[in-house]
Amino acid sequence: MQIRRLAALVGAAAVIVTACSTGGGTAAPSGGGGADCTVGVSWNNYQEERWAKWDEPAIKAALDAVGAKYVSNDAKSSAETQASNVENLITQGADVVIILAQDGEAIKPAVAAAIADGVPVIAYDRLIEDPAALYITFDNVLVGKLQAEALLKVKDSGNFIVMKGNSADANADFLREGMVQAGLPPAGESNDKLKNVGESYTDNWDPSIAQTQMEQFLTANNNAIDIAFVENDGMAGGVIAALEAQGLAGKVPVSGQDGDAPALNRVAKGTQTVDVWKDARLLGKSAGEAAVQLCANKDIKAVSGVGTFKSPGGNDMTSILLTPQAITKDNLNVVVDAGWISKETLCQGVAAGSVAVCG
Amino acid sequence: MTDAIVREEPPPPARQGIQLGQLVRSLEVDTRQLGMIGLLAVIWIGFNIASNGNFITARNLWNLSVQSASIGIMATGMVLIIVSRNIDLSVGSVLGFVGYTMAILQAEWIPNALGLGFDQPYTWIVTVLVGLVLGAFIGGVQGVIIAYGGVPSFIVTLGGLLVWRGLIFRYAQGQSMGPMDSTYQLLGGGPRGAMGDVLSWALALLACAGIAYTMWAGRRRRRRYGFPLRPMWAEVVVGGVSMAAVLGVVWVFNSYAWPPSLATQYAVEHGITEPPGGLIIATGVAFPVVIMLGVGLVMTYIATRRRFGRYVYAIGGNPEAAELGGINVRRTITLTFVLMGMLCAVSAAVQTARLNLAVTGLGVQNELDVISAAVIGGTSFAGGIGTIPGAILGAVVMQSLRSGMAMINVDSPTQDIVVGAVLVTAVGVDAWLRRRSGS
Repeated sequence: MQIRRLAALVGAAAVIVTACSTGGGTAAPSGGGGADCTVGVSWNNYQEERWAKWDEPAIKAALDAVGAKYVSNDAKSSAETQASNVENLITQGADVVIILAQDGEAIKPAVAAAIADGVPVIAYDRLIEDPAALYITFDNVLVGKLQAEALLKVKDSGNFIVMKGNSADANADFLREGMVQAGLPPAGESNDKLKNVGESYTDNWDPSIAQTQMEQFLTANNNAIDIAFVENDGMAGGVIAALEAQGLAGKVPVSGQDGDAPALNRVAKGTQTVDVWKDARLLGKSAGEAAVQLCANKDIKAVSGVGTFKSPGGNDMTSILLTPQAITKDNLNVVVDAGWISKETLCQGVAAGSVAVCG
Repeated sequence: MTDAIVREEPPPPARQGIQLGQLVRSLEVDTRQLGMIGLLAVIWIGFNIASNGNFITARNLWNLSVQSASIGIMATGMVLIIVSRNIDLSVGSVLGFVGYTMAILQAEWIPNALGLGFDQPYTWIVTVLVGLVLGAFIGGVQGVIIAYGGVPSFIVTLGGLLVWRGLIFRYAQGQSMGPMDSTYQLLGGGPRGAMGDVLSWALALLACAGIAYTMWAGRRRRRRYGFPLRPMWAEVVVGGVSMAAVLGVVWVFNSYAWPPSLATQYAVEHGITEPPGGLIIATGVAFPVVIMLGVGLVMTYIATRRRFGRYVYAIGGNPEAAELGGINVRRTITLTFVLMGMLCAVSAAVQTARLNLAVTGLGVQNELDVISAAVIGGTSFAGGIGTIPGAILGAVVMQSLRSGMAMINVDSPTQDIVVGAVLVTAVGVDAWLRRRSGS
């Protein structure tokens, strides 16, 4: 009995070890280098494609440009591991730490300890509610504003609907706030030009739910919907599928964000009006450049381009909010030139001559 | 056979109350399903009032039928799983995994990796077959671990829920996959993905003939084995009402005409000059609904007429007795999960085709809707009780609530609250009624 139990344990351990050993191995302390600046990056889950493909090379390039050193480690989606990883980076000689937080709350003690040690911290992409850290992210309010502006440029009056993201996600409200800045009436309200005929949060940003919701909005309004303000690309897919079933795809302006391949394809086909794109490389570049500045001067308020961002937790965060880019049919070449999407994928099923980049 | 008991007439009634009860009993209809139809009627009428008459329209009922299809298809399999005292929490993740695979197959692998190009005539069938095999395999793996490995189904499928979802994220890397093959898209419905009026009427007549034949065959069988017969008037009532229902539903779907702008598109594509009033094309029954009805029919047949189905109910009624009675319990349980996996694949095809897209979150929380549909449809967690038509009706009830609330602008967190409350209430009332009637 004892032996069997032991065997089972060993078996289980073997499975775990095999599972873990397939990934990881990202800690890459670079040797030599002339500059006296070392930047440590704590990834929360390096195995997600995006970080290795877009963000890390951009950070490295910014550091290489001035001869700064790059060290990193991976928390493999564990908040506890990440806390000790931050300490390890400082032990390895990091002068500045960039953190892609697994959990913005759980990492706070480690961040406070680093700052107390005289090591400035950059909260990368995700918010860490500590006003002593520098927060670098894309401006989500601006994303909403760009979405609404692009749609209102096409059609500035009539019946509209708003398809919002998950109600528990603060971004859903940031985006909606940006739409108000662009001139859309606030939630549940109308003005003399724009009439709100439907507005809904969507569980998990689920495209299927958005599709059903849109079908019901269309039925309730007998198809009299002129503009669809949709907060991301997935839900835009659902909304456009519902419009397609009524023969309205391409006639009703629809927005989205994320730069999803199928969404960019829809922009090329003309069924989606705008896709607001957040270029991850821009994020990496500005974080790298900010880190280099922090090596010389530890005051986060002295970094170029900083502003103040009122966080959901009520903190005045020193932050760099990057500008996302609105991609429409007219500037699709931007995503192709950036290598974000292949021309074949973008142009599949697009009528010849309708989009410049597709030929 | 000569001394067959043929009881054409009910015994003389003693009191008015009993008389009514006996009338209902002679009809031999499932009173629980009647209750559910009543509940559905209340929901529909309520939403129709709240939406100023927009709910009970051909268009909305047609929408509702398509929206219910995916959950309805899976609910038929969930009935057998729950009847045999198991549970499958992984259906949403399996749907997502299979759906994403089918999407990547038609949007990447076949056209790009194999270089065969988009929109080939065989793409959709290859995709669906691969999906079915994959679904059966996944279900089989889980079923074997449950039946032969002795791990409770709750645990195995909870693990499955995490594993299959995790695998999607791993190989999708957060990317959405689309658009779908143009033929494949028809599986998801939409006016183009529907049968049109002629085929729909043909289907309705076929169904009526089927009802008549089933009733005739059932009566003959009863006489042969000496079972009491349903009085003739009851046969006529039940048959007449069923046929009227079939014809009525098809009539509603046929009276939903293609949306004008889509009809115009069609006219342009086919070089038809539009008549002054616009081209009127009847939509008819949507393909996903045809699939759901087909699945429902086959599953009912399996559950009630095949040895496998009867074994499932026997196991649910008393697993030990079933085992001692010589039923291969392990094999039967494994097969229920294989079946469930295949049904997940069918629903995955319907969902990805309908959305024209696969996302990493495809099918998230569908397990809850599927289990709810089965349970609202009268499937008991105690095992041994549950019907396929009930589960489909349960799916329609659930979707009616969601669509109705969406129509009157109740957003999804509030919808969840209402659906949750209705689920518990429905099952609670059902349990109470069952205790009262002492069955």
